Amino acid sequence: MFDPNVIRKDFPILSKLINDKKLVYLDSGATSQKPSQVIEAESNFYQKFNANVHRGAHALGDEATQMLESARQSVARFIGGKEKEIIFVRNTTEAINLVAYSWGMDNLKSGDVVISTIMEHHGNMVPWQQVCKKTGAKLELIKIDSEGKLDQSYFKEKLKLKPKLVAFTHVSNTLGTINPVKEMTKLAHKAGALVLIDGAQAVPHMKVNVTEIECDFYVFSGHKMLGPMGIGVLWGRQEILEKMSPFITGGGMINEVFEDHATWAELPDKFEAGTPNVAGAVGLASAIEYLEKLGMENVRKHDMEIVGYTLDKLCKVRNLAVLGPKDADIRSGSVAFEYKGVHAHDVATILDSEGVAVRSGHHCTMPLHKSLGLSASIRASFNVYTTKSDIDSLVKAIGKVKQVFGK
Amino acid sequence: MDLYREEVMDHYEHPRNQGELVGDDVIYDHEVNASCGDSVQFYLRIVNGKIVEVKWTGVGCAITTASASKLSEYLQGQTLREIKDMSEEELAQKGIGFEVNPGRIKCLMLPIKVVKKILTHTSKI
Repeated sequence: MFDPNVIRKDFPILSKLINDKKLVYLDSGATSQKPSQVIEAESNFYQKFNANVHRGAHALGDEATQMLESARQSVARFIGGKEKEIIFVRNTTEAINLVAYSWGMDNLKSGDVVISTIMEHHGNMVPWQQVCKKTGAKLELIKIDSEGKLDQSYFKEKLKLKPKLVAFTHVSNTLGTINPVKEMTKLAHKAGALVLIDGAQAVPHMKVNVTEIECDFYVFSGHKMLGPMGIGVLWGRQEILEKMSPFITGGGMINEVFEDHATWAELPDKFEAGTPNVAGAVGLASAIEYLEKLGMENVRKHDMEIVGYTLDKLCKVRNLAVLGPKDADIRSGSVAFEYKGVHAHDVATILDSEGVAVRSGHHCTMPLHKSLGLSASIRASFNVYTTKSDIDSLVKAIGKVKQVFGK
Repeated sequence: MDLYREEVMDHYEHPRNQGELVGDDVIYDHEVNASCGDSVQFYLRIVNGKIVEVKWTGVGCAITTASASKLSEYLQGQTLREIKDMSEEELAQKGIGFEVNPGRIKCLMLPIKVVKKILTHTSKI
């Protein structure tokens, strides 16, 4: 039985007081809170298993290596990939940079086309801008329709340019829109492009299977899915990763080093130079175990319920305009809105005084905000511990904005 | 809410010295708040190293707007040397005079950053 009120008991921080009021944490899209199980798993690693991995013939080093590899197995099982296709990185942004600089620099040239979308997080836009600048390739951004969904006919039109790569988000961190990843991947492949999907806002809320989506790269962060900060994942198709050059070079990613050159280790080590965040990987595996116990179908059902409830409540508030689709079936994780006549930062400060933590600003989607004619918005975002009562607190606190600003 | 007290709200609702200045004796620049894209532009008319007229334009929250409005009043009559010799914190204390919680420091300081930026590239001191 999925009950957010029971789940909340696993999250120590949720009993904290903010401004003498109960914390209402509605900023999970920025980073989720962590259950005791995850915090303990990470701490337990340092207390009982800490040693460096892949080196030293001693028992503790073997145990640490085993824990790292078992975390890799958990991730592979969770998203339906192979173990050697799971590359541990710091976060989603680093994963995208790895592909941009490794695959991008070797495979893009002047005149080539990369397609991304206007709804991307800066993390899936700026690296492509940079690599396009360096290689002379051209970046094309897919627009959104009036509802906040990707304009599919525009996408099909742009595919005629025969792009080398299509990079887009699974779930928009600002509009909440769930993109039709499988259909878009199929179309992109037909046009001859590789496909990279930013899953940072999808993996925490729904069952994701990279084999079913049939994409070529899928990237996400641990800290948005109840795991620790500083650990993220690049999944890539084995045959593509094998052909790619390493991104960061040095220790741990080599096969042999000579005075003037080196050869590379096999996957996944080739892409994991330097000492990895083993405790972070162990924490991530614990978060995956936590989510698997809840059941991703239940997690998604709860997500949809909270999104639907929030849309319902916020659409009734005067002076407030919700961004993105109005249908919870094609949304996940968050609801962003504009309070007409009052700046997003001012709204957030007033909500904070009531203990309600939301994100205000452009949420790392400046081009999207600009295209919507906004400089900033307010975003309430959710996770498994979010309750309808949290949303009621949000709505009540929004009422205070009128008291202060008279609007 | 303490932050949005009468004085701040008055400057937000009725910002002073909004507009632009032109002329050879005018120095100006702009700066943005990276967390929300707000931008503020300040124009200072300088006669013999002294600020004789101040105007500003921009889009911002209540804090940035009130801060720019108050600062524009303070700057009138000051010399560029005096402003240059002050730290950002000192200028905020004297020229804005209200405080905010840590999360809003960038909003408060945006007008200060603009004025300090102007002073890095002017020869009128």
